Amino acid sequence: MNLKTWIKTITFYDLLVGMKATMSHLLHYRPVTLQYPHEKRTLPDNYRGMLALLRYDDGTEKCVGCDLCEAACPSRVIRVVSAEVPGQPAKRYSKEYYMDMTRCLFCGMCVDACPVDALGMTREFEWAVYDKRQLHLNKEQLLAIGDRSFPVREKQLELQHQNVAFFNVAFKHLPQKPS
Amino acid sequence: MTELSLRLAVSLAQIAAVMGIVMLTVMILTLAERKVLGWMQDRMGPMEVGPYGILQPIADGLKLFFKEDIVPAGANKAMFTLAPILAMVPAMIGFAVIPFGPNVTVDVFGITIKPFVISDINIGVLYILAFASIGAYGIILGGWSSNSKYSLLGGLRSAAQVISYELNVGLAIVGVLLLSGSLSLVTITQAQAGGFWHWFIWGARPDGFFPIHTQIFAFVVFVISAVAETNRVPFDLPEAESELVAGFFTEYSGMRFAFFFIAEYANMVLVSCVAASLFLGGWNAPYPGTILGYAGLEQLAWIENVAWFTLKVYMFLFLFFWLRATLPRLRYDQLMRFGWKVMLPIALANIVVTAITAYFFPR
Repeated sequence: MNLKTWIKTITFYDLLVGMKATMSHLLHYRPVTLQYPHEKRTLPDNYRGMLALLRYDDGTEKCVGCDLCEAACPSRVIRVVSAEVPGQPAKRYSKEYYMDMTRCLFCGMCVDACPVDALGMTREFEWAVYDKRQLHLNKEQLLAIGDRSFPVREKQLELQHQNVAFFNVAFKHLPQKPS
Repeated sequence: MTELSLRLAVSLAQIAAVMGIVMLTVMILTLAERKVLGWMQDRMGPMEVGPYGILQPIADGLKLFFKEDIVPAGANKAMFTLAPILAMVPAMIGFAVIPFGPNVTVDVFGITIKPFVISDINIGVLYILAFASIGAYGIILGGWSSNSKYSLLGGLRSAAQVISYELNVGLAIVGVLLLSGSLSLVTITQAQAGGFWHWFIWGARPDGFFPIHTQIFAFVVFVISAVAETNRVPFDLPEAESELVAGFFTEYSGMRFAFFFIAEYANMVLVSCVAASLFLGGWNAPYPGTILGYAGLEQLAWIENVAWFTLKVYMFLFLFFWLRATLPRLRYDQLMRFGWKVMLPIALANIVVTAITAYFFPR
């Protein structure tokens, strides 16, 4: 150990450098924290918050009960019970739709998977509850979240004849989905 | 009213006042620590309760008071109950010999009392050291009686640490005792009157300026050992959060936990008071006499003295926070090696050097 290191050791030089650093932070006090409930940071545009089911502008549900979101979900959050629309044999809808938000990791894969854009991610994140069961959401709750978060609704386009299967695109006289 | 009962009443009043001040200081410290720590780490500290969070200690106290008191299954209930008391009482009892202000006497109803020290006993320093050692029993017993491996490890670490560093504290102050020729904190403080160069950290003789009896090495050893003895960062191994959950008070909750907490902070205040009294001249101002005394207000000079004492104590307490904000925890073997192979030789060498200089250049 040479003399310089030795002097540094006995005078606690390295400790003093560290203490100078903390003291300079005290003197130039510039907090980086946010007082959360009183001030909230602005969310990024592509923020992935609470999931919601959406409606068309006439109030009908977008969901066609195809189960693709359930298949896409890596955490098995979603459970869809699909059924025929009464009186319209070729049309289906989700009779029941459950989301267990305790498991959701907000990856957005269900939103990507949805062929009719029936799912959306809102900017809500304050979903702390006292009872876990309150996070097991049903269809009405998910629709309500969508209603309050997406006031501007998409117009329903009659892409196909009602009694024709959805993926059949042979009817050119019907309006096509804008690309 | 007999003289005895009057003395008792006066002593009890003094004790109540000192206890109240210490408890108030502890309350302030809990907030001040979080605030200072926050500011040093670019945070704000508590901000919710009251303006800028100044009522946080009251909220904390109420919360701890109403918490459920849990005694873990398998714990030794008697020891589990005794341990927090055994930790807190020695921390509080040490204040009995601390002189907070000048050594004046006041006559109250015919009896003479010293208003700024509860009891000026002639073995004051030994008394504090003895009770500080008893305080370690509270920690060890708390760790053992909890019937938890984390608590036990914390208690054992505390035992080893307190033994190692108690020794250094004791040896570091021997130089001061040699110079002042007394164990009474009042006498020691009086020996440092007349300007900061007479404080034992510089150690100039009463008639000179040259720091011939400087105790600065002893002072450094004392401060480091005091930090270790109060189980503070960077020597907080008995309660190492990242290793032992909370160390010896892992199983404690509610008021029992609060007792340990208060004991820790009271110990901080106590060692700060001792350090201020022994090395930094206690109530003495860093200039000869007092400004209020020169201004002809000799009766009010005690205000200035008490203010200087408070300032010195709070300076030490700030140092505790500052160290906590800066330093990481030592490893256990580092702690032991530092205590026995670095601090102890310095303290012993300081005794030898001080003894020689005190022999050739007596005060």
